[in-house]
Amino acid sequence: MKLLKTPLSRVALFLSAGISAATLAIGSASAQPLAITHAKVHTVTGQGVLTDATVIIEDGKILAINPQALPAGLAAERIIDARGKTITPGFINSFNQLGLVEVSAVGESQDSREKKADITFDPSLAFNPRSSLIPYSRKGGITRNLVAPGGGDSIFKGQAFAVDLSGEFDSVVKNALGVYVVVGGKSKGSRAFDLQTLWHKLEDRQKALAKEKTKQEAKEKANKDDKSKKDNNGDKEPKRDELILDALLAGEKPLFVKANRASDLLQLIKLKQAFKLDLVLVGAADAALVAKQLAAAEIPVVINALRNLPESFDAMHTSLTSPATLTAAGVKVVLNTSGDTHNLYQLRFTAGNAVANGLSATQALASITANAADVFHLDAGRIAVGQAADLVLWSGDPFELSTRVEKMWIAGEEVGTSSRQDALRERYISKSTLPKAYVK
Amino acid sequence: MRKITLPLLAAGVSVTLTACLDTQQQDAKVTIKKNPYPSSYQPLAQQQTLIKNATVLTGTGEKLDNTDVLLQGGKIAQLGKGISASGAMEVDGTGKWLTPGIIDVHSHLGVYPSPSVGSHQDGNEMTSPNTSEVWAEHSVWPQDPGFEAARAGGVTSLQILPGSANLFGGRGVTLRNVPSVTMQGMKFPDAPYGLKMACGENPKRVYGDRKELPSTRMGNMAGYRAAWAEATEYKRAWDKYERDYAAGKNPQAPERDLTLDTLKGVLDGEILIHNHCYKAEEMAMMIDLGKEFNYHSGTFHHAIEAYKIAEPLAENGNCAAMWPDWWGFKMEAYDMVQENVAIVDAVKNSCAIVHSDSDSTIQRLNQEAGKILYRAKESGFALTEADAVGWITLNPAKSLGISDKTGSVEVGKNADVVLWNRNPFSVYAQAEQVFVDGAKVYDRIDEKYQAKSDFLLGQK
Repeated sequence: MKLLKTPLSRVALFLSAGISAATLAIGSASAQPLAITHAKVHTVTGQGVLTDATVIIEDGKILAINPQALPAGLAAERIIDARGKTITPGFINSFNQLGLVEVSAVGESQDSREKKADITFDPSLAFNPRSSLIPYSRKGGITRNLVAPGGGDSIFKGQAFAVDLSGEFDSVVKNALGVYVVVGGKSKGSRAFDLQTLWHKLEDRQKALAKEKTKQEAKEKANKDDKSKKDNNGDKEPKRDELILDALLAGEKPLFVKANRASDLLQLIKLKQAFKLDLVLVGAADAALVAKQLAAAEIPVVINALRNLPESFDAMHTSLTSPATLTAAGVKVVLNTSGDTHNLYQLRFTAGNAVANGLSATQALASITANAADVFHLDAGRIAVGQAADLVLWSGDPFELSTRVEKMWIAGEEVGTSSRQDALRERYISKSTLPKAYVK
Repeated sequence: MRKITLPLLAAGVSVTLTACLDTQQQDAKVTIKKNPYPSSYQPLAQQQTLIKNATVLTGTGEKLDNTDVLLQGGKIAQLGKGISASGAMEVDGTGKWLTPGIIDVHSHLGVYPSPSVGSHQDGNEMTSPNTSEVWAEHSVWPQDPGFEAARAGGVTSLQILPGSANLFGGRGVTLRNVPSVTMQGMKFPDAPYGLKMACGENPKRVYGDRKELPSTRMGNMAGYRAAWAEATEYKRAWDKYERDYAAGKNPQAPERDLTLDTLKGVLDGEILIHNHCYKAEEMAMMIDLGKEFNYHSGTFHHAIEAYKIAEPLAENGNCAAMWPDWWGFKMEAYDMVQENVAIVDAVKNSCAIVHSDSDSTIQRLNQEAGKILYRAKESGFALTEADAVGWITLNPAKSLGISDKTGSVEVGKNADVVLWNRNPFSVYAQAEQVFVDGAKVYDRIDEKYQAKSDFLLGQK
């Protein structure tokens, strides 16, 4: 057993994490553990930033932070010396079409939309973990992503799903994770109708559920009285869309609503309160105008920190300072990148710009790690014992343009960031007497 | 495309039939106004300003530490250490960086303004494959709040281009990024016009869907060639008119054709080509097209594959305007590499530009250049901040034909400068003060210098 220089404070931290020394006897564990040593670890937990820290990974999880000793018999190649560099949780992006679109203008490579798509639309069936966008996206330190359906004509665009960016065939982490709805100004028709549709859909289902419950109770009572009767005979199976609405009404599934105008956001606050929804607002261009109300209603918002133009009459008050304003008001902010999915790697620069405009670096980091994990119900986003080992080792400040990813791990497995773009660059900067097509 | 008529002898028979006689009395000469919507731009009120002790990136490849810059009479009057100027407003540049004003060679501000509503879609005259007769300046809405946002990002000049639906989209215009009620009040004095051309997928999609030429890339080429052939005839007719008139004859002027006026301007070397063209093989063909019809093929915009033909671009004197990382939105944008700009830049006599084509990234062209700088350094390119700044200052000025006036911090040039709160290639960098012709047009701290569009005024 290789001993580390372990200050007492570290031991305390380790113990406070609730891991007994026995847990460290992991020589016989199925997967080889990995130790990252001498790292500046941004835990995004109450523990804050740990300098010269050690993180032990095993079986895809974080096994220990600052243990008293490294696991017994750990092979030298399983010890990564971070040499004081920064480790953060992997970043989480959201509301894009990663793995559903290869080339936006090529219809055949586009699986996020379907005219007839409704609340039941589950695009995770089409997810392509071998998309060339995925290794490229890893350059941004992104380890997980919430993919949103493009949907169809309905305001119910379908169901969002979570993936990891390992590129492996099993990288859909959770499908049908939440329902995605879009409301707001449109060139034909009224947003009032859309808000009403959303409200009625929930209200009707809630009434139907209440009725069923009454019926059920009456039946149970009757059954009690007449023991000879079989239970539940002739009961209708709920339809697929009804099951989804039930999950929303039970608060088991988040409702993600894309909306921008402040008045729409206030309508949605009422909706949350009336139906006790797990509501998340997306886009939310003018959220800063109603920051207090959003905070009081405990509604998180997913916003792109770079939106600052009055792009429509729904978005007249967008500002680079919105993430800071919302966070200061007590709103849980999740940053994302909007626009074309191909550049979701830029999430870290978005966070950097939010910092330049008033968000603290700590808050910015949380907004693309822990906050996102909480809002999307993902087991990730923090460096804490028992969490999924999504870790990124950075060459410097993770938000800086000059920084790059040196190493990253998704669920404990090391992944690279080398992409098709790198192969093209290497081909064209290499010297060869044959045409470039021979350079591979 | 319209067929031109050459009515040299057709009309005015009784008078002009004898025009070939040497002693004929001449009619008034027909001339075409080259600048009928002239600039009325006036620099804002200015004060002699001395910026002390800044780190100066000149735009010409130099980085000068602890350097003073004196802005006087709209020009960069002095550059060096220990400058003093009595009566000058002094700005402490310690710890700050000074660069030339940023120039975006590809913007649609004003023609696709915010808010992006139907009534504001004025940038793409999608009614014919050749709309060389339209001028972007006639669509510019000076109240676009995007101008203010770009100014806060250090943009002092920008070219507004029409869109890319057509083989020939029309004329672009270069503007000073100053608040103005009229387009003319922003127009960059004496900047050449640009002609927007577009290769590839856009024209073939737009017209192919209408079962019109072009529906293929070969159709695109046929369309360009037909237009240049017509323009050549038109120019020949005008040249003959000029020659005959100069010889004392009384020729009839060719019939005016607004479409061909623009193309002729290119053949005369007065209008510069700005060609939306992504792919290596298409850019190579556009270079040959220029040679076939005797004009210069200018700047390739969105040149995603420029890195594949960096040497021929430099040899032929073409600039390439590129993004650091936009890609994948169509097939012709699939072969992106983040080091594109650096690869193009590495060739002798090259002209690599970082452009935005976006109301959002125009606000952060410094960061766009920074992304390239650092990725290229990781790939072994010997580049510095002093090199990277030229991609967003001097090279776009060259592309626009205004590099004699702006684009670098050099004595005698227009005082278009940006003072940054730190290294401008940091994600945290912000432009603190922006000057156009020596006049402060933006100050991050002083609200007095933060203009607000009429559109946003009083919005609650």
